[in-house]
Amino acid sequence: MGLPLYDAHSDPGPSFFHFAQSVGIASSERTNTVESPHATTVIAVRYDAGVVMVGDRQATGNYIASRDVRKIEAADRFTAIAISGTAARGIEFIRMAQLSFEHYEKMTDSALSLEGKANYLSPIIQRNNLSTPLIVIPLLAGWDTSHRIGRIFEYDGAGGCYERFDFATIGSGTPFAESALRLGFRTDLDREGALELGALALYEAGDNDPSTGGPDFVRNIFPMMVTITEQGFQELDVDDVAARFRSINDRRTQSGGVAGGTLR
Amino acid sequence: MSNYFYVSPEQLTKDRAEFAQKGIARGRSMVAATYENGVLLVAENPSASLNKISEIYDRIAFAGAGKYNEFDRLREAGIRWADGTGFTYSREDVDARALANYYAQHLGDMFTEGQKPLEVEILVAQLGNKIRPTKLYRIAYEGTISDEPRFAVLGGDAEAIRERFAANEESLHSLQETLTNAVSALAGPDRVIATSDLEVGILEDRGARRTFLRLTDEQVSELLR
Repeated sequence: MGLPLYDAHSDPGPSFFHFAQSVGIASSERTNTVESPHATTVIAVRYDAGVVMVGDRQATGNYIASRDVRKIEAADRFTAIAISGTAARGIEFIRMAQLSFEHYEKMTDSALSLEGKANYLSPIIQRNNLSTPLIVIPLLAGWDTSHRIGRIFEYDGAGGCYERFDFATIGSGTPFAESALRLGFRTDLDREGALELGALALYEAGDNDPSTGGPDFVRNIFPMMVTITEQGFQELDVDDVAARFRSINDRRTQSGGVAGGTLR
Repeated sequence: MSNYFYVSPEQLTKDRAEFAQKGIARGRSMVAATYENGVLLVAENPSASLNKISEIYDRIAFAGAGKYNEFDRLREAGIRWADGTGFTYSREDVDARALANYYAQHLGDMFTEGQKPLEVEILVAQLGNKIRPTKLYRIAYEGTISDEPRFAVLGGDAEAIRERFAANEESLHSLQETLTNAVSALAGPDRVIATSDLEVGILEDRGARRTFLRLTDEQVSELLR
């Protein structure tokens, strides 16, 4: 690539996506249908000091393509982005989002607001989903540094962006995860409560949806759990996550396999 | 009938060089220097928002002297080039030398073929790691690129500042010593530069991927105390 200089009227400004399109390094829009693995259940729950996110680790095609995919990534220090849908496009989408936020910050010497980040992703999702069958639905959660609250933004297939004030889920496990969240969500959740509810909702999705991977005690692979707070994006360590899922699993066994038995 | 006057290439180059030098001399100068843990960039800049020093990539910084609008466009092109190259290949494939060469080509083209030469002098600094060395590339208005071993001075008063900085250069190790020397070299014997008129940035490993840090006025005063 040569030095990308622009006239004032054709300058793409601080948007990395528009720059990448203008030089042809972003993926082209028309594609044929190809079989590719898709990614599955991610949950975000708001609580008093931020947002908890829980995501499964399985990529599913006609069979299980991978058991240890990371579907939640830090887009920057205070923002997490998760993907469902076509894995290939989802991973590219995360890279594009991470780079776009950093690019904007370097170009303008100021960080985008959380709402600005959420809105920026809308047309990128729209262009992808309305022009290819390789659908991607992301979920954005972050700590809003100017308003000092955790916020969650979900998207529809056409790129519409909606703020959720309680919780949000994406992926094929949504009906099961959402049911658990609806029963367990309270407005005064603390960190522990939000982590417990998120883990439980993911457990339910993994239990009922064949494309969602629940805790894998055989291989010691567990869903990803992260918090986004004033301290930024923090991932729980695997022993902590394992203990939470083991306790849910034990309760399910003790209740004789009845679904309601997982609730405390 | 139109009149064509012959102008010798020597005369043309001389005129253009004089024009560019005059433009650059109108702006204030800046110093870049390596210290024991990284690279320091100091500019005399009364504006707190129109930056002369900027982050380009994880281990690369940019500095400009001369006409703001001209070097700022080069800065933006550099960020785009670096982010685009890292997106296409890998983050570790983004090399300051390649960027410095592109800048040199562009400045050289503008000097010989443009309506007027760019009235800027720029610097591309790279913090070294296992795969690349620490580098300071100074690129002049006509596209001359120089690989400065320890420190570089940009701007109108460069010769005098370079001499003042070089006088103590051997004994400099820490960020504090290097910054103090750079600021007194910029100021000269009869002048004191207020902290609020200094713009300071460093490239230093702090355990994160991005190494550029802009120092606040408080941090600068603390170091200069």
